Amino acid sequence: MQKSKKVVILGHFGVGKTSLIRRFVSNQFSDQYKVTIGVHISKKVVDLSDEDSVSLILWDLEGTDRLEQIREAYLLGTHGVIFVFDINRPSTFQNLKRDLETVKSKVQDRPTVVIGNKKDLVPEEEISSLLEEHDIPYDYLTSAKTGETVEEAFLHLASILHHDS
Amino acid sequence: MVTKMDEQAKLEILKDILFPDDRGAVQDIAKRITLVEHIINDQKQLAEKVDPLVDEKISAFTKRIPDTLGPTITATLKKEIKNHKDEVVDALYPVLGKMVKKYVAQEIKMLSEKIDNQLGFLKRFKRKMRSWFGGPTEEQQLMRELSSATIEQVLLIERDTGILKASYSVTNTIDEEMISGMLTAIKSFVEDAFHKKNQNLELIQYELYNIHLQSFVTHYVAVVISGDYHLTSKNKLQDIIFNFYYNFMAMNLDLVFHSKDKEKQGKEVRTIDKDLLIKELEASFGNAKI
Ligand SMILES: Nc1nc2c(ncn2[C@@H]2O[C@H](COP(=O)(O)OP(=O)(O)O)[C@@H](O)[C@H]2O)c(=O)[nH]1
Ligand SMILES: [Mg+2]
Repeated sequence: MQKSKKVVILGHFGVGKTSLIRRFVSNQFSDQYKVTIGVHISKKVVDLSDEDSVSLILWDLEGTDRLEQIREAYLLGTHGVIFVFDINRPSTFQNLKRDLETVKSKVQDRPTVVIGNKKDLVPEEEISSLLEEHDIPYDYLTSAKTGETVEEAFLHLASILHHDS
Repeated sequence: MVTKMDEQAKLEILKDILFPDDRGAVQDIAKRITLVEHIINDQKQLAEKVDPLVDEKISAFTKRIPDTLGPTITATLKKEIKNHKDEVVDALYPVLGKMVKKYVAQEIKMLSEKIDNQLGFLKRFKRKMRSWFGGPTEEQQLMRELSSATIEQVLLIERDTGILKASYSVTNTIDEEMISGMLTAIKSFVEDAFHKKNQNLELIQYELYNIHLQSFVTHYVAVVISGDYHLTSKNKLQDIIFNFYYNFMAMNLDLVFHSKDKEKQGKEVRTIDKDLLIKELEASFGNAKI
């Protein structure tokens, strides 16, 4: 049986939310930056086994540097959240813990997957020290550009949501 | 090409020739038009008056459920009703909505029929005039007035999440799950941005289509319509939606109560059989004329 789940992608401006969705849904990437205005909806059906699949309805919200400003109406009934930051820009993750608390309170503790994106821009050996230094609780490090670990992150959330219901 | 002034002037002349003595009739019509204007304005006020009334009725009804149905409703069921207030209100809303709508519509209809009779001759006259001055032929205009709206697609959507529950469509179009999400995003945006907490976005016009949105508490119904979509069509459509939604919620409530037993067996299942829902949609909207 196929279930549908509403997933909201959150994070600061330009961290790569739209790019990650694009990579995951249609396996494409573009260097051009087109600011998302309002909401963009896409969908991807994820097969979890021979019988089971989940239809992810992805809500790509316009970026806000203040999470408090997100329209509550867009978050209603959200089943899961993907929170994205940019490894390359400390300003997008230095308040990560507080940001995640805010998100949690807005979506009633729904499952959240935290992604550090643009992995391709930072040398491997620098990444871990950088994130440790800031004590950043991330789940996946991805690159929408190369596609690295993008699918894993989305699939992880899909399977949580599938078992969650 | 005839300029506007010319047309106006000719109309006056023609009117004098054709209706030398229509002053009384015109005055009569004018009076009635003002009356209708008042009524339409009043309708708005009426809606404001009626809404709290409906709310009151619903809460009175929910409160009275234990009295009226007390002996037959067990304690668990009472609790279920309390826990699923939204669903109960949702099931009652279409019935009350229909009652109120019928009452208002009947009043308006009686009035507009009277006016139609009075204005019939003027309409015929206007059609003739237009074709005389190079507009569409009289037949074309008549056709235009008769051609009516057609239902292309119906979506039953969960209100908060925008998730599609079931759909009916004449032709296969782009991904319905995505359309449902987008409609919900637009709806949320408009209702939120204009702080219309208690008002719902009702119509979206998109190229050749009108999309009518009928909101209930837990779900809403979106109907994509091609062709001319006027008040008469809207009235008919709302009746169909109310009927469908009432049946849908009745199924839903059955499930709510039923789920209690399932829970005891260790597994709670609360989904309406999708095939059943699609059949219901098809039966309600499939051959509907609006
Ligand atoms: N190098 C690199 N650039 C990226 C990556 N992801 C996104 N970008 C670029 O970052 C910019 C912002 O991306 P976008 O997806 O629009 O960010 P959004 O505002 O969060 O939706 C765009 O110019 C993208 O091309 C990545 O993984 N690596
Ligand atoms: Mg974006």
